Parts: sequence; structure tokens; C-alpha cells
Amino acid sequence: MNKSSDSLQGTLDLLILKTLYRCPNHGFGITLHVQTVSGGLVCVEEGSLYPALHRLERHKLLSGSWSVTDNGRRARYYRLTPAGRKRLAEAEQSWSALSKGVAKVLRFA
Amino acid sequence: MKRWLERLWRGRRLDQDVREEIESHLEMRAEMNRGAGLSTDDAGDLARRQFGNSGQVHEDVRRIHLGEWLEGLQQDLRYAWRSLLRAPAFTVTAILAAALGIGATTAVFSAVDRILFRSLPYPAEDRLVSFGFAAPIEPQEFMLGTDYVEWRERQTPFAEMATWASVSDCDLTDRNPARLSCAEVESTFLQTLGVRPLLGRDFTPEDDRPNSSPAALISYGLWQSRFAADPGIAGKTLSLDGKTATIAGVLPASFELPTLARADVLVPLRLDPATQRRPQTGRLLWAIARLKPGVPPDQANQQLAPLFAESLKWVPPNFRKEVKLRVRSLRDRQVQDARLASWVLLGAVLAVLLIACANVANLMLVRATARQRELAVRQALGAGKARLVRQTLTESVLLGLLGGAAGCVLARLLLRLFVAIAPESIPRLAQAALDGRVLAVAIALAVLSGVLFGLPPAFQIPHAEWPTGSRVSGSPRLRFRESLVAAQIAVSLILLTGAALLLRSLWKLESVPLGMRTAAVLTARISLARDAQPERQLAFFEELESRLARLPGVSSLAVTDSVPPVGPARSMIFSAIEIEGRPRFGQGTGGMVTWRTVTPGYFGVLDIPIRRGRSFQDGDRAPDEHAVILNEALAARLYPREDALGKRIRPGLSGPWLTIIGVSANVRNNGLSGQDGPEYYVVRRHSVESAFRESSVLIRTQFTPKAMSDWVRREVATLDPTLPVALETMDQRVAKLAERPRFNATLLGLFAAIGALLAAVGLYGVISFLVAQRTQEIGIRMALGATRAEIARLVLHHAAPWTLVGVLAGIVGSLFATRVLRTLLFGVPEKDPITLVTVSGILLGVAGLASWLPSRRAAQVDPMVALRQD
Repeated sequence: MNKSSDSLQGTLDLLILKTLYRCPNHGFGITLHVQTVSGGLVCVEEGSLYPALHRLERHKLLSGSWSVTDNGRRARYYRLTPAGRKRLAEAEQSWSALSKGVAKVLRFA
Repeated sequence: MKRWLERLWRGRRLDQDVREEIESHLEMRAEMNRGAGLSTDDAGDLARRQFGNSGQVHEDVRRIHLGEWLEGLQQDLRYAWRSLLRAPAFTVTAILAAALGIGATTAVFSAVDRILFRSLPYPAEDRLVSFGFAAPIEPQEFMLGTDYVEWRERQTPFAEMATWASVSDCDLTDRNPARLSCAEVESTFLQTLGVRPLLGRDFTPEDDRPNSSPAALISYGLWQSRFAADPGIAGKTLSLDGKTATIAGVLPASFELPTLARADVLVPLRLDPATQRRPQTGRLLWAIARLKPGVPPDQANQQLAPLFAESLKWVPPNFRKEVKLRVRSLRDRQVQDARLASWVLLGAVLAVLLIACANVANLMLVRATARQRELAVRQALGAGKARLVRQTLTESVLLGLLGGAAGCVLARLLLRLFVAIAPESIPRLAQAALDGRVLAVAIALAVLSGVLFGLPPAFQIPHAEWPTGSRVSGSPRLRFRESLVAAQIAVSLILLTGAALLLRSLWKLESVPLGMRTAAVLTARISLARDAQPERQLAFFEELESRLARLPGVSSLAVTDSVPPVGPARSMIFSAIEIEGRPRFGQGTGGMVTWRTVTPGYFGVLDIPIRRGRSFQDGDRAPDEHAVILNEALAARLYPREDALGKRIRPGLSGPWLTIIGVSANVRNNGLSGQDGPEYYVVRRHSVESAFRESSVLIRTQFTPKAMSDWVRREVATLDPTLPVALETMDQRVAKLAERPRFNATLLGLFAAIGALLAAVGLYGVISFLVAQRTQEIGIRMALGATRAEIARLVLHHAAPWTLVGVLAGIVGSLFATRVLRTLLFGVPEKDPITLVTVSGILLGVAGLASWLPSRRAAQVDPMVALRQD
């Protein structure tokens, strides 16, 4: 089920991978991080986040394991696998190419 | 289906995980909301609202996992299907090999299932046993009425027990007379078997009382055909042998007697304990019982031992040593000696399946080598080893299933063949069919073989770090394939040895001298109505004799009560033959002596030589004459040092003394494989003492048996149009005796041939592959001056060691495996050097041919073409 060509889903995957690049995190942490860093412009919906996390995990781009948060709460932490790192690099490249391209098109019009 | 898949992928643990994950998310969100100043309840509610439909999320996650799994399977299947289509030659060969193995195994399984595995149609049948005395006078265990009524009261191991007497002809004497078969059973019979009548009532102890009004249970078939399935049949009457009986009930359609004999009517046995207790009037009975729960048959045997010891007291002391107590399962009583042959056939066909699997594995290995580049590319593109293994197994299981489907078609044909060539004496073969149970086995076999021949290629998928794209002529791989071929050769050698031994036995059996001339002799068996009086019996057969003697084409004719070499014949305990001038009773029973009552023409019709004295003459048939003819075996035992002629004997220790007027040559009278047993003949006199209800007419004729049969039938019909006549030539009777060995030998021969063929194809494949792989090398050698003969020798040199290893292993295996055949053999030792040498020779020849063909191709390699390759 490789739908990373789907641009919206591809964007979500990219956001997740990038967020986890810095350090492993849980689902809630990811939504928080994306919202904060984008200054509230991008909001990740939970309804799409969890299916995406599990899909990436099945594709071996992430690995998940139960761990304890700073507040002593149990949560499922996701971390990037080597394959995930590789995929992130590719996705970043194609994203910047795409956005540059789109920007050019927009400017031209 | 969906639920099953979910369980398969341990859905429950995952569900739990996802639920907890969502829960932890909600709690963290709520905590943050509280930090923003909301009350605990509001914080929780808001968190839930912010999250959205958590059930939907849960469902989505689940679909991702399940979908991946299904999609992977679908993808694998599609891929496997395409890659099979791309290599049609490989696919068809592999499917054919698998179909051969699976089809043959399925067919044999369905044939032996009812003998070996399927339970008898009685509830808790594992607790049903047959018990009684085992003695030389009767191959089956039996009880005598005297002992049975005693044991019935005092036995401990059985919850229930019952007896039945033999199944015999009975006549339905209603408006439309018909010959039926009736079984006399004790009133507890059905109850012991756990069978309830379909309609009406079971027998009660009241029915067993000697003076009660006669009752009868009729079979489902009789109820349907004769009484039009009348639902109110219970309580109506029918007349059996001229006596009216009330129909108590109808047996279920699935009912069968423990011996599988056909019975249209069950009637009460009506054992009278008072009569039975007198040893002289005790009847011969077959006894069955239901063991108490937890009592195994051998324990029952021990518990019956004291009763048995008491019963032995009635046995004349000189016979006691020969009588044993036997308790065995009802199934053993039923299948008798069919069990061993069934296991042998099943074993043989499983061996064929293994050979076929090895063949397909070999083919897949060849293909794996050819596809090495493809695999390397896929690995480079990120397919893991596990994925490729899964892919290979999917492909092999798909092949197995396709082979299984083709195999089912083959099994149908084979089964039809089995039933067509099988003798009647193989129990239950006619019932064999491809039902759900057999199909389940076929599918299991298909999947199992798929995994079996998928494993070797799966194991050889290289790790990603292997040099990719290069043509690895890896020696471990080839060595594995060669050992597969060696194993195939070994197994098929064992099969061939077994088949050859059976075939040689069959040949010996069929060429056994019978002691008589059977060609051009027709036999006609006629049995009169049950209520025919002795005067009528005598008159009928004497009239028939004179009518048939007048027929054209009859060169000689005899009437006898029984016909050799087998079949029901009268017999007498040896030590019950009194010799004039000697004390009664020798040591032991001395075994059994066959005797027949024949007309004077008997020895002429069958061409049995009279060694001493004379044959019977018409004068001997006078009512006051008492002449007897012994066969040489009996004469030698009765009069080892004197001339038997003129001496007198008294069989049965009473009645008139019989004068010995002649000694005849021995004739096979114990079946084909038995020894010629002692036998004597008395003449059929013009006296009611020589009256028989059932007799056979033997006719030596110059006409064809077919033409003669019509004449005989017509003559019988003029005397009594209702009588059935069973016509058979003597040759047909004799051929029937070898039917079982012929069936076993044919089947085993067929399987051995298939096995050897598959092994040869396997060897051919490996050598061809070797040649193809070394084409370049061969080209170089030839360019450097190697001759064609040298190249061929090089290739053959490679095939030789593996073939030899296979043959040697096969010979060693045969020495062990053929041991189980011992009791199926006749006149051939199980370790027969001639057979082993011949079979090894044949197999070496076939292997030689299989490797010679590719070696010839190697020798024809054009060095220029070979060197330009690649």
C-alpha cells in the first residue's frame, strides 16, 4: 500500500519523518511539535496521524515501542529506522523540488 | 474469513495496543487542557472532541495491517501465477509430476481409508470386540452354545454381549417367492452394536424364547423394494420358509453386519439355555461384545481366562493344546488380512509422492538458478530475504494446489480402475469414493507437497551480500540436487523390488500344478428351496443328472456337493476318522480332512488320476454299498506302512464302515498357496442319505462355455423355473483365487513404474542442467582437442557415482523394506538375490539411458558456438 505519491499523504509522512528525525516521539508529541513549529499554520489531525504511523511502521520506516514519558505516563514512542532516514532524505529533496517548481509556476502566472 | 485472517495475525494484541495508544494520547491532551485552566471533566471531553472519532481511527489502523497482509498475499499469488505462465514447460511438467504423486496417493487413500482408518458405522466402535475360541478347525474365533450361555452369566469385562449364527439363504414364500439371506441374531445384537431400528422395535428377550411367536427385522433395502417403504410396516407379517413371522421393525439404511455379509432379514436366534447346556446340542456361534469403558481387549482376555479354562474341560484332552482364547477388535475381525496389503499399497504410493516431490523440487532449483539474476535485482531493489522466501513458497504451494486439482481428476480415474480390477474379497472397496474426507486429504497433501518442494529452493535464496548477477555454479547447490536424485533412485529401487517380488509370487501362484485339468469344464451350482424334503432333493439332482447327460456336447459329467480348489467343502477332524482294527483317537485333532460326495464321473471330468485300485462305478451307488476313495495324502497318513486298498474306515466314529476301493492323486484343496490337504470321496448313492439341498454339476464339454451355459439353464428351468443357477467355468474359479495377489502386484507394479520413471526424469534433468551449465567448458575442452567420446564420458562420469550411491542405498533399503511383504509372498524368499540383481540392473539401465541422452547432446556441442555464448 504505497501511496506516498499521493501528495497530501506524502506531506503528512514527510512531517512525521522530519519530526522524528530530531528525536523519537509519541503521537501526541508529534501533533504538538508540528503545530508549535509551524506557528499554528499546520495542524495534524489524529484521525490521519495514527493510520499513517502504523503504515510507516509496517513499511519499516519507523519502529514503535512502549516507553514512559517525562511525566511518568506510558506512551508508544516511534523512532526512525535507517530506511526511514533514507526515505526522509528522498522526500525532503522531492518536496523542495516540488515546492520550488510550484512556486515558479505560481509566480509566472 | 475476515475474522479468521484477523486472528491469524494476532489481531487481539494489536487491538489492545492501539486502544492503549489512543488512551494515552487522550490523557496527555486532557492534561494539557487542564493546564489551560479547564476542569477535569471538561478537559477530558474536549480532548475527546479534539481527537475525533476514535473508533474510526482504530478501524483504519486495523485495516492497514490486515490490508497489507492480504495485499501481500494477493501480490505474491499474482506474481507467482504470472511467473508460472511465463515458463509453461516448467509449469506443466511440475504440475504433472505433482498430480501423479498426489492423484495416486489420493486414490489409494480413498481405497484403504475404510479398511485402515475410518471408523465402523457403530457408535463407540473402538469398544466393540469379537471373541471366542481360536482353533485349527475354523479360522475365525467361535463360541459353542454350551459355553456361551455359561459365560453370558458370569463374564466381567463386557458391558453387553451378543451372538449370531451364520448368514444363510432363506426363502420368502409370499405371493412372489424370492431367495433372501437371513441372519439369526440374539435379541441383544443390535443393542450391543449400538444400532436402533429405523421403524418399529428392536428384538426383546421375549423374542429369543424358543416358543414365542416368530419376529423379524427387515433391511432398509428390502423395506424399500418389497414393501414400497410402507411407514406402517411394523406389525405386518411375512412368510419365511413357509412360516409366518411378524415384522418387528426396519433396520437403518446404514446398517451392516460386522462381517459385511448381506442380510435382508434378521430373525431371533432363540437359544434355549437348557438345550445349549448339553454339550452335544450346543450350536456354533459368533460372539461380539461391547467392552466396559476403560477395559482394553487384552485385559478382557485375562478376565475371561478362568471361564475359558473351565470350558476347556469339555474339550477332549488331546485337543486342548490347540485351542486358544481370542479377543480382538471388530475391525480386525472384519478386515482380516486386507490390512497388511493396504499398508503396503499406501506406503508405496507415499514413496511415489516423495519421488514426485523431489522431482518438482529439482525443477524448482533449476528455475531458481535461471532466475538468480531476477532475484538479485529484486534484492537490490530492497526485497528482503524473508519476502523472497515467502514468494518462493507461495509459488510452490500454488503449484502444489494446481497439481492437487489435476491429481483429483487422476484419482477419480485411478479409483475407477481399482474398483474395476479389484476382487470382491477386498472389503469395502466398492464403497470407496472421493468424498469430503478424501478431498480434505488431497488438499492437505497438495499444500504439504507444495511446502516440501518449495523449501529447498527457498533455502537457497542467497543473502543480499552475495555477488549479484554472476552465474554461480555453486557446488553445494548441485550436490543437493544430486543427492535428491540419488534418493529418488534408492526409493524407486525399493518399490521395484517389492513389485518384482509380488509379480514373481503371482507367477508362481498361477503356475501351481492343481492336480486336475480345468480347461473346458463348466460348473453350475444349484440350491433348492429351503423347505425341500430329502426325497425331493435326491429326485431333483438325479433327474437333472440324467437330463444333462443326454445333452449334446457333454463329454462327461459329475454331480458333487463341493468343488476344489477352494470354496465351502465338508470337512472332518482327522482324529475322528476311525480305522478298523485300531484304537480310537490319536494325539491332537490332526487338523481337518476335506470330504466330498461325488458321482462316479467326478474323476473323469476333472481328469484326476486314480493311483491305486479303481474309480467309483455305477454299481457303487446302490443304497447298501459303502465305498470310499482316499487321496494320496490321506492314504499316507492313515496307512503309512500298508496298502490302503480293501481296508475300512469310519469317519465320524459312527455309521457304516466304508471300504477303501481306490487312492486318487492329490488335488489342490486349500486354495492355491496352501498345501494339498488330506481328502476322501464317498459316492453319491441312490439313497436319501446322499441327498443335498445344494450341489454343483461339473460338465466337460466340446462346446463353448457360453453355449453350454444356455443349455444347462434351460434344463434346470424345465425342472423348476424359480431356481437360480450360478454358472462359472473351472478356469474362472481358479483365476479368482489369484485375484488378490494379482491386484496387489498390479498396483505395486504400477506405482514402481511411475516411481522409476520419475526418478529417471529427475536424473535426466540434473545431467541436462549440468551439460547446459558447462557448455562453455565443454567448448574449450573440445577446442583443446577433446574427442566427442571423451566429452560424453566426462558427463557420464558425473552421473555414475550418484546413480551407484542411489542403487546401493536402494538395495540396503530393500533388504529391510521387503520384510513386511513376507506374508504376501508365495514361493519367493523376501531377500531374493535374483530379484535384487534384476531390479538393480533395470534401474541402472534406465539411469544410464537418462544420462546418456544429455551426454550425447554435450558431445555434439559446437565449440565455436559454445565459446561465443555470453
